[in-house]
Amino acid sequence: MFLVGLERSIWYNPSVVISVSHLSKYYQVHQKEAGFFGSIKSLFARKYETVRAVDNISFSINEGELVGFIGPNGAGKTTTLKCLSGLLFPTSGEISVLGFTPWERKYEFLGSIALVMGQKNQLWWDLPAQETFLLNKEIYEISAKKFNERLSELSSLLKVDQLLKTPVRKLSLGERMKMELIASLIHSPKMLFLDEPTLGLDIVMQQNLRDFIKEYNKRHRATIILTSHYMKDVESLCKRVIIINLGKIIFDGELKTLARQHAPYKLIKVVLQRHIEKNSIQTFGRVAKFQYPEFVLISPNEKISELTSKLLKQLPIEDLTIQEPAIEDIIREIFLSKG
Amino acid sequence: MNKYFQIAKLTWDETLVYRLNFVMWRIRVVLQILTLYFLWASLIPSGTTLFGYDQSQMLTYILGASLVSSIVLSSRSSAVGDEINSGNLSNFLLRPINYFLYWFSRDVGDKAMNIAFAMVELTIIFAILKPPLFIRVESIHLLLTFVAIILAIIIYFFFSFLLGLIGFWNPEVWAPRFIFTVLLNFFAGGLFPLDILPKFIFSIFQLLPFTYLLYFPIKIYLGQLTTIEIFTGIAISLVWTTLLYVVVKYIWRKGLLVYTAQGR
Repeated sequence: MFLVGLERSIWYNPSVVISVSHLSKYYQVHQKEAGFFGSIKSLFARKYETVRAVDNISFSINEGELVGFIGPNGAGKTTTLKCLSGLLFPTSGEISVLGFTPWERKYEFLGSIALVMGQKNQLWWDLPAQETFLLNKEIYEISAKKFNERLSELSSLLKVDQLLKTPVRKLSLGERMKMELIASLIHSPKMLFLDEPTLGLDIVMQQNLRDFIKEYNKRHRATIILTSHYMKDVESLCKRVIIINLGKIIFDGELKTLARQHAPYKLIKVVLQRHIEKNSIQTFGRVAKFQYPEFVLISPNEKISELTSKLLKQLPIEDLTIQEPAIEDIIREIFLSKG
Repeated sequence: MNKYFQIAKLTWDETLVYRLNFVMWRIRVVLQILTLYFLWASLIPSGTTLFGYDQSQMLTYILGASLVSSIVLSSRSSAVGDEINSGNLSNFLLRPINYFLYWFSRDVGDKAMNIAFAMVELTIIFAILKPPLFIRVESIHLLLTFVAIILAIIIYFFFSFLLGLIGFWNPEVWAPRFIFTVLLNFFAGGLFPLDILPKFIFSIFQLLPFTYLLYFPIKIYLGQLTTIEIFTGIAISLVWTTLLYVVVKYIWRKGLLVYTAQGR
């Protein structure tokens, strides 16, 4: 599908900023038996098991793309991001990000990327967030003028101008997340890896953050890869998704295509005027839900108009709506069928 | 270079946040100094000598050892092991910054704070006890003492860093460090001058790096070393510094290969 011809296209297409080919990352995990004797035993004879966190994956990403990485816990999303940002040495395979090999960790490369992890903190706990920003100004060698511009832009976008002088330990979780974000973005990275950026935030903050990410992507033409468990994050931000499970890519393409390919059906939601037996509804098709006065039918795309008119003719209907299946349900089905 | 200066400054600021903690730490140091001081003052009454040291030389050695050890034998890099285990190391690997220089800058900030306080304390102790100290003024000895202390700081830094790097392979980083610290004070000459040991043992000590952490700088200051001894000592320190640098770099690279950036 998408991957066909990847190896050729890297060299001809200048706007490709990330190319990954046949990347694998295996971990050696030390197994310990439970209990005291298990501990003693593990002192002398350690058993190791190889975990294939990422297993031979390939993809490429163009400049300015906002791509969602989806997968259940332990699927290999974070490992992939860590390989892309140079934290981990790949077990095998090639990675090129902005023309650099990430694990060499050249300063020029590090100066153009940022990896934001929900629970990691780089802020100095006892000092105001501003001090960390100033330190980053020096680390990234940003001019005073640019620094002030960036800081006021970011702090007003995130609405934290008032809190810059408060010691970090006195900030709330949400405020701290915003400060982390500012610290990570103060050098205007061209490449942004966001690992669960909305983890632990309330609904309003989640929305703010999504708006912010969208805005940042547009304003700086930044390339962004995002992982999230909240499908809303992905739906509202990413046109393209890469679904990964057990270390392998099982889908790479547009979110729209995902629905068409993997869920070629729609949901017909009906509200009845009076009670009808479930048995007689089942004659129309597969019933996903029945709870009087409401029921939901699953219908293949090509049969939708035929079925709708049949329903309207034969049942006492108060209301009828046709819905796309929820993206979450589609993805769950993919995981269950291919996992 | 600006970034490392900024780090040193932030470390200084950070210490000031926990003023009480810092003051208590200083009080502990002062009590330790006084204990050793009175012990040796009563062991060598004025006018007698013990192991070739008269009272003022021994007291200068002991006070000097305390001062030098508060400068040399302390390093923030003791947190390296925990940072590796918690995955906090990732924050540094992701930014254009040298992790060694980061910790060394923190040490500079930390040591500057400690020296400032030690000066004040020593002045007070001096004013109250009026100890018969051996004061040296020739600038060549002071300069050589200074060079020896700088080398000692670097050697200790590498040791401390090395102990932290254990974290790449084993989560229990504190046990080795604890044993190291306990042995170190003895081997470095923090409790007594090393040359009161039997000659054979002392000559082995002279080849170890620990001798050069405390004993050596103070002996230069006391003027009890010949020029040849001084330059041999500095040469041995330099050899150890280079050797440790190579080892730390090597282990660091090996460690990064197995680093899993865990904690999430």
